[in-house]
Amino acid sequence: MSKIITRSPGSRQRGAFTVGLVAIALTLSACGNGAQAQNPTTGPESAAASGEPVEGGHLVFADVVPAPRWQTQSATDYRQANVLNSVLDRLTYYDAETETLVPWIATDWSPNDDLTEWTFTIREGVTFSDGTPLDAEAVARNLQVFGEGITDAQIQPNQDYKNFVSAEVTGDDQVTVTLSEPNANFVRATSSVTSGLVAPSVFELDNAGQNDIAQVIGSGPFTFESQVPDQEIVFTAREDYAWAPETAENQGAPYLDGFTLRYLPEVGHRAGSVSTGQADLVRGIQPVDEATLEAAGHSVYAAAGTDLSSNHMAVRFENEEVSDARVRQALQIGTNREAIKQTVLSDSYQLSGSILNHGAPGFVDLSEDFAYDPERAKELLDEAGWTVGSDGIREKDGQRLELTVSASSNSVVIKPVFDLMVQQWAELGVKLTSRAGDNTFFLQAQTDETVPLYGTRAFSYGGLGPLYGSGGTLTLADDPEFDELVDRANAEADEDARNEILAEQQDYIVNEQAHAIVLWDEVQVYGAHSGTHVEFTTGAAPIFQGAWKEGE
Amino acid sequence: MARYALGRVGQALIVIWLAYTVVFLSVQLLPSDPVTIFLSADAAPDPAVVAAMQAQYGYDQPLIVQYLGQLAGLFVGDFGYALSAGQTVVERIGGVIGSTLELAGWAFVFAVVLSFVLVSVASLVKVRWVRAVLEALPPLFSSVPVFWVGLIALQVLSFQLGVMSIFPDGSFLSLTVPVVLLGAYVSAPIAQVLFKAIEQTYAQPFVDVLRAKGASETRIFFAHILKNSVAPAFTVMAMAVGALLAGSVITETVFSRSGLGQIVLQGVTAQDIPLVQGLVLITATAFVVFNLIVDLLHPLLDPRVLKAHPAAAGRTR
Repeated sequence: MSKIITRSPGSRQRGAFTVGLVAIALTLSACGNGAQAQNPTTGPESAAASGEPVEGGHLVFADVVPAPRWQTQSATDYRQANVLNSVLDRLTYYDAETETLVPWIATDWSPNDDLTEWTFTIREGVTFSDGTPLDAEAVARNLQVFGEGITDAQIQPNQDYKNFVSAEVTGDDQVTVTLSEPNANFVRATSSVTSGLVAPSVFELDNAGQNDIAQVIGSGPFTFESQVPDQEIVFTAREDYAWAPETAENQGAPYLDGFTLRYLPEVGHRAGSVSTGQADLVRGIQPVDEATLEAAGHSVYAAAGTDLSSNHMAVRFENEEVSDARVRQALQIGTNREAIKQTVLSDSYQLSGSILNHGAPGFVDLSEDFAYDPERAKELLDEAGWTVGSDGIREKDGQRLELTVSASSNSVVIKPVFDLMVQQWAELGVKLTSRAGDNTFFLQAQTDETVPLYGTRAFSYGGLGPLYGSGGTLTLADDPEFDELVDRANAEADEDARNEILAEQQDYIVNEQAHAIVLWDEVQVYGAHSGTHVEFTTGAAPIFQGAWKEGE
Repeated sequence: MARYALGRVGQALIVIWLAYTVVFLSVQLLPSDPVTIFLSADAAPDPAVVAAMQAQYGYDQPLIVQYLGQLAGLFVGDFGYALSAGQTVVERIGGVIGSTLELAGWAFVFAVVLSFVLVSVASLVKVRWVRAVLEALPPLFSSVPVFWVGLIALQVLSFQLGVMSIFPDGSFLSLTVPVVLLGAYVSAPIAQVLFKAIEQTYAQPFVDVLRAKGASETRIFFAHILKNSVAPAFTVMAMAVGALLAGSVITETVFSRSGLGQIVLQGVTAQDIPLVQGLVLITATAFVVFNLIVDLLHPLLDPRVLKAHPAAAGRTR
């Protein structure tokens, strides 16, 4: 079936490939705590050693649950992003190794002096899968939809395109985006899967049409072929694909002939599917299954979600119980993260150093500041006027210190972590009720500001403003002080100066105000059947364009 | 008889309408609303967009207007738009209902066959302990959770023996295993009721008369006992439709099958009212139709039913 590719990367590129893999290995081992779990037979070194990618073959990827909608701006969670990453191209790509944005569909970009206009140069010769050109006009139309939404089709503006004014074709191959406020970070938003480019004809469809994966037309390396609703979707490689991100090892068509998306909602089935080879790649491997898989010669990939915030509990600080910063700080330092790691996580998980992940642009390590200190936590709660009641739960003015946390059921570790925190906080005199795994409550809690704690990690392409600023999605409260930090960072053209403000932002959220109880860096743990080679984006999505399977 | 039938059909329609109305009202009690949930999945919902969208789908109308509007829509086949799916309710349900019908249909057939075989063998077999074992099976079937057996079955068949795919691949086993598990679960109440009815029938004097006339036990069982005992089993079969649909949801989830199960989960989680309403309507209709059929068959199986129903009895006399 499969043959060794003849248009394989030349020695120079193969060298780059090896260097790339070594760089990844170094990055990962540099994460401390041996953050990456790789097995000897399919680990990075041996992948390079075992030779060139094999062309051909069909990969089966099992994700957690089906995605209900496929409109670009709906790709705010992994279920869509993991697949759309291989179906839609973007203007820019965030390269994990160099930690920079690199050209993809845009070959170049630059802002004006006051950071209110961004001009993109569009690559030539790119086509959508229906044959229409992905030119400056198509890009301008996409950006306009991201900025303004489509009212008739009930499509909201993309949250990372705040202050959008217009997107216009300003030259043969140039598009200029105009913003009403400066935004030095704007270009980062174009690297998000939620900025995936579709053929303009897609925007003419109604809401149902735009959400139908069969009608989504992109310029990416894979195109839709067929589906059984809620059961599987088959994608086929585009043979004429020739416009991968600049740093991609594979610059041509995918090695694979195609891939099939399936679902394993039952967590107990995931490791077994990998080891029996019924799925080549599976997301959501439990910590307890990692060692077993590796021992059997399969791979465990800890794909770092650098593009997201760390896993944390966002505190809706307008609720009475948590309105005092000292209470929030007490929760921050009263959480024993090391015990969480020892008890329910694995070496694939790295504990948080900030609200951003290690490796994210502007990350500062604040872990010393919120090191576990239960005695100090109790003092803070005393100072805030919460005294221990007869049953060990603190009280103030007749109110008990009882908090409820919500989280989605899709993370394999969040529920056991929160269960452990229930015990940890009880020692402080705080009654925590965990409703992790209750998805109905989770959806309600997304917009219900009376739920005091919201367990999550969120894509942060637009920086921390859309998450923690006024009108943000996590704390659901106005915060003019933080808005000011966001505005200052957005108006700062100099990167070093901007990173200093980013450091202030992180200190504000984690230490000063403790609006987020940070826990562990975002990571998605994938299992891969022996002989399956996959790398991942900084959004933790598998890169199917560069994936390959060893011949049988 | 015709009047009896008409009365039953009328009752059935009222039950469906009541189910529809109760669900409509109870969904209103839930916090949040479908539009906010829909929009917050994409971004922080802009109040203006929420308002515009509520207007678009009529969620800004008074409850009674929404209710009557939806009800009127049903008569022209408009079940509304499933926001959470980005499809009309008819498309969303229509796309997967075949899979559920396949599973539920075969499971029902299997359940009926299994319960009759079980009961027949247990009634005719002479060995005491075999009989005791067979009689103990239905309580076992009903007490062991389907999802648990399903998980074990997959673990063994798919991972240890490697004879079955973890994903539904259209193979014989990938349909048979869920059908057998669901069918066994659904067969339990049917078999239990049948056991009880047969026991009662055997206690009737006419059986002694048959034996005295020299009829064989096999003939007595199939020609007389079974015939006089099936009526209550039919009633339970109709009731089993509910268990069948609920069981399908669980079975589909365990076996990663396409079907109504996923939609129920999705619709309820996202408070997608039209979608949930559509599902309720289908479930209630299936339930009611099966019960109606049994009700209408009853007089044919057991004329005494009509005696208890003077109006209908009057017509037949």
